Amino acid sequence: MTQISDLLLLAIVLVNFALLGATRLSTTIRAVAVQGGLLGLLPLVLHGGPSLHAVGLAVGTVAIKGVILPRFLTWAIREAALRREVEPRIGFVGSLLLGVVAVAVAFAVAARLPLPPELARPLLVPVALATVMVGFIILTTRAKAVTLVVGYLVLENGIYLFGLTLTEQVPFLVEIGVLLDVFVGVFIMGIVVFHINRAFDSLDAEQLAQLTD
Amino acid sequence: MTFLFSGLGLIGLGALAAWLLEGRSRASAALFQVLAVVGCALGGGAAVRVLLGTPAEQIRYHAQVLGGDWVWGLDALSAAFALAVFVVGAAAIVFGVAYLAAEARHRRVGPSHAFVGLLIVAMALVVTARAAVPFLIAWEVMALSAYFLVVFDDTQAGVRRAGLIYLVATHTGTLALLALFALWGGRSGSFEFDRMMAADLGGPLPSVLFGLALVGFGVKAGFVPLHFWLPEAHPAAPTHVSALMSGLMIKTGVYGLLRVITMVPGAVAPWWGWTLLLLGLTSGVLGVLWAMVQHDLKRLLAYHSIENIGIILMGVGLGTLGLAYGRPTLAVLGFSAAVLHSFNHALFKSLLFFGAGAVARATGTREIERLGGLARRMPVTWIAFLVGAAAIVGLPPLNGFVGEWLLYNGLFGSALGQATTPARFAVWGAAGLALIGALALACFAKVGGVVFLGHARSPHSREAREVGLGFLVPMIALAVLCFALGLFPFAAVGLAWPAGALVAGLSSGSAAQVGFPVIVGLPALWLFTLAIPAVAVLLWILRAGLLQRRAVTRGPTWGCAYAATTPRMQYTGSSFVAPLEAAYRGVVGLEVRRAPGSFVTEPIDRVLEHVLLPAWRVVLDVSGRFRALQHGRLNLYLVYVLATVLALLVWLYAAGTGAGIRP
Amino acid sequence: MSSALASLVVVLLMAPVLPGLSARTKAILTGRRGQPVLQLYSDLGRLLRKGAVYGTATTWMFALAPVVVLATVLCAALLLPLDGRAALIRFSGDAVAFAYVLALGRLALVLGAMDTGSSFEAMGASREVTIASFAEPALFLALVVLAVLTDSLSLSGMLGSRLVPGLEGFQMAAAAPLGLVAITLFVVLLAETARVPVDDPATHLELTMIHEVMILDHSGPDLAFLLYAGAVKLALFGSILVGVVVPRAPLAPWLALVVLVGGLVVVAVLIGVIESVTARLRLKRVPQFLVAAATLAALGVILVLR
Repeated sequence: MTQISDLLLLAIVLVNFALLGATRLSTTIRAVAVQGGLLGLLPLVLHGGPSLHAVGLAVGTVAIKGVILPRFLTWAIREAALRREVEPRIGFVGSLLLGVVAVAVAFAVAARLPLPPELARPLLVPVALATVMVGFIILTTRAKAVTLVVGYLVLENGIYLFGLTLTEQVPFLVEIGVLLDVFVGVFIMGIVVFHINRAFDSLDAEQLAQLTD
Repeated sequence: MTFLFSGLGLIGLGALAAWLLEGRSRASAALFQVLAVVGCALGGGAAVRVLLGTPAEQIRYHAQVLGGDWVWGLDALSAAFALAVFVVGAAAIVFGVAYLAAEARHRRVGPSHAFVGLLIVAMALVVTARAAVPFLIAWEVMALSAYFLVVFDDTQAGVRRAGLIYLVATHTGTLALLALFALWGGRSGSFEFDRMMAADLGGPLPSVLFGLALVGFGVKAGFVPLHFWLPEAHPAAPTHVSALMSGLMIKTGVYGLLRVITMVPGAVAPWWGWTLLLLGLTSGVLGVLWAMVQHDLKRLLAYHSIENIGIILMGVGLGTLGLAYGRPTLAVLGFSAAVLHSFNHALFKSLLFFGAGAVARATGTREIERLGGLARRMPVTWIAFLVGAAAIVGLPPLNGFVGEWLLYNGLFGSALGQATTPARFAVWGAAGLALIGALALACFAKVGGVVFLGHARSPHSREAREVGLGFLVPMIALAVLCFALGLFPFAAVGLAWPAGALVAGLSSGSAAQVGFPVIVGLPALWLFTLAIPAVAVLLWILRAGLLQRRAVTRGPTWGCAYAATTPRMQYTGSSFVAPLEAAYRGVVGLEVRRAPGSFVTEPIDRVLEHVLLPAWRVVLDVSGRFRALQHGRLNLYLVYVLATVLALLVWLYAAGTGAGIRP
Repeated sequence: MSSALASLVVVLLMAPVLPGLSARTKAILTGRRGQPVLQLYSDLGRLLRKGAVYGTATTWMFALAPVVVLATVLCAALLLPLDGRAALIRFSGDAVAFAYVLALGRLALVLGAMDTGSSFEAMGASREVTIASFAEPALFLALVVLAVLTDSLSLSGMLGSRLVPGLEGFQMAAAAPLGLVAITLFVVLLAETARVPVDDPATHLELTMIHEVMILDHSGPDLAFLLYAGAVKLALFGSILVGVVVPRAPLAPWLALVVLVGGLVVVAVLIGVIESVTARLRLKRVPQFLVAAATLAALGVILVLR
């Protein structure tokens, strides 16, 4: 079981890189959907086999993170008739290198965190940290509102991974947290997409900055 | 030591002859050449003796001035650097006389020769001094003679500017060194290196000393971001002086760092190593990227010195990490790689500068975009330059490869053997070094291809003629040395290994023991380096045999059947590096002007233009406010002096006991 | 020793099959019959019997380039443990020598191209060195992973005697880093041997203009040397890949050789498949492709350093 969970976690890191290197919006959305699916499978193999609780969590996560949210985003792109390219501010090569640095830092930091031994699954914490940081990289370096939502989702996925280290001890809290996060995510997306779209005929968040003047 | 000092005496005598006899005797330059080369041979002999195992020596002079005895010594570390000084120094003296012969018809060149002699003597004294006072004196003599050599063409404004920037930089460095030795000597009660080494420093002092050494020696070594003077000063000087500065003088900074590390055994902190490694990596990558976009041949080479100092610094950093984390293998590999690469770089960088100087003399321009096709006009220069280029890229079977091989062994080795210390993260440096190597290859492919191959791009290069023997002999000698050290890696490693062991604080026996897995591979490496030329020669013979009975014809270049080309339509240096520049644009400072039919790139040094010069302007502004204090009245100046003395007295009183230096 | 020599001879003899296999695979997948698999042998034979034409601008550098390219590729072959155990020449850090001797060949090839004075070939040369500057760090990151996993600094250890699951010092759970390295190495192979999506071996025209355009002016034995060197280089990188995917040290020598030949055939077919299903990348995208590959190896390094 440990082997499978490690492979899943590794795949999540690879999806992070794919997100940083992808040039098309549709690819990023597909990637984040894959990541959501992988996240959903994790509870089944962590903590010694599937329990009813774990299955419930898995189904919910796959449905929301892997299917519904990506669909919603794809629909938003089509409705708003966006250009299909991701427009990074620092270039794809730069984003990828930043991603490598983030992952390296995550692994270095995770090795030093004072975690209780029963939590310290070797890969879970560093991958969670790395995913959070990649989410931040996407949030800070991408110009489009939709990519910002994707970045937010990645950030969420990282936090969800952190939560998985705790599911055995405080399951209820994590589930509530997941639901809340999802709610907030959808809410923010709705606001961002519709308000920007109505106000500026554009989804480029950089133009929001002009509001300050 | 007797050999060494008689050698230095001969060089000094030659320098004196060059200055005083110029104009009175036609043989003054020749006399200088002979005396100085014999002197270099004597000094080099002394260094080789030590490297072959003669015990290290010291001599002592009871100076009657502040700072105690003046001591000089020749151990393995000094010997490795002194040998480089004498070998490259001799080549530069021979080259310099030929190079300045053209100028000698209408101006005095004797003083220039004399300063070259003085510079070589001073560098030899820097790397052998064993006390702070003689070290600093030799250091300043070296810095100042280099200044006078840089401003040789002082009628040009650019040269004067370069000289000024160099002077400011070198004095900043010396200031840091003064602080370093004052602090250290104050704590240990002596200015002799041996006693300073024995002093118990304790506390944060070693790290402060290291910081001062990093700045003081770093300015001389010229790593990023202290490199800014280097690409200004090195190209401005006459070519043989550029070779001395780029090949040797910057290495005295490396020597200084290594010497300081030998003098604080046990106090080495991990952050020294990480700082050095990161600075090295940064200098290496940025240096080669900046070099790539240059199109002044000598400036390009100067930026490559920054790159190579970066590689050397990576070695020093790795060695320091080895010391800090108790991994002697890393220490000895890193330090020997640094010493070996310093020596190698002295050889091939001066060779490349000589080649650039020969090209400049033959064509009258250093502008890469105006050259081309020189391989036909200057065949010997081209072959020598090609050897230097392959060596600086680190390709086998040349000497550059052996040094980088040692360094790679150390970098890879840092993560091997179930390593648990953080030193294992140094392994990332291997990928950085690979990037530096690949970019250096791109850069020298550009230089070789655009300057020497293809068609001539201007009348200058169309009518160039091969330079004389005075130019060629030093180049051939250096090229042969590059080949020899590459084909016989034993010699190369043997030259640097004792110095590496010394800095790592190991006896030769234990150094051989910890380095055994690497050293044991030398015979196989030797076999491999010999195999490359052997296979190539066999294939060349095969090719000649195949072509012997066939028709070999010449025709216009195929070029996809577009025959009406002109030399101006060839790829230029700028177009050659355009894809690289596009890929790495974020880090390279470059102004690009594109127009239909022209593509011009103008490299700018971001550190100098965007940080230092604006800062300098601020300093000028601020100091302008103090101009009111400067009015030329003597009595008021005396008041300032009095006020200062009073203030100092008050401070001493407040501080209680005088914590000054006891003689 | 004898098995190493035998493997070397076999690889050198079979190398020209590989480009033919790739081309044939591509032809079949795109609905053509294509050239015979053994086409390159007859091409080489024909070229070796021909005379040569040299451009008026060229010097000895142009004639030397093919010789150096072939010599460096042959010397690099001496360093690879082709029998799955040990190479003919091995020493600590021979992995570095492998990469750098191939770089010597690259310098010679690029200078030979510049020697023609044609902007076509110089363009190829410029692109070649640009791509190499991205491929080289990727290769070294992959080598770092292998070195740490096998605790060895020699290719003979990394791909041969020490790459044995269960051997002392060999870290278990190495499957993930090895998988990442295999992907990186495959991408490096595509870049180093001028294959789609980095370059296109089928054309020297239009926007590719990398490897094929550099050898545009060579003819006769010179061209034969270059074509053969290209085939051997493909075989060498293919052998590295096979070495990573299938550790062969526990196998009997003859079986190890059979596995190697089979693996090389698979690699060649795989290249053909990739060439038929993907388009060549835009030049500006090539660095991104290679950096992505390097990223995978970097992740491998992070995993093994943990």
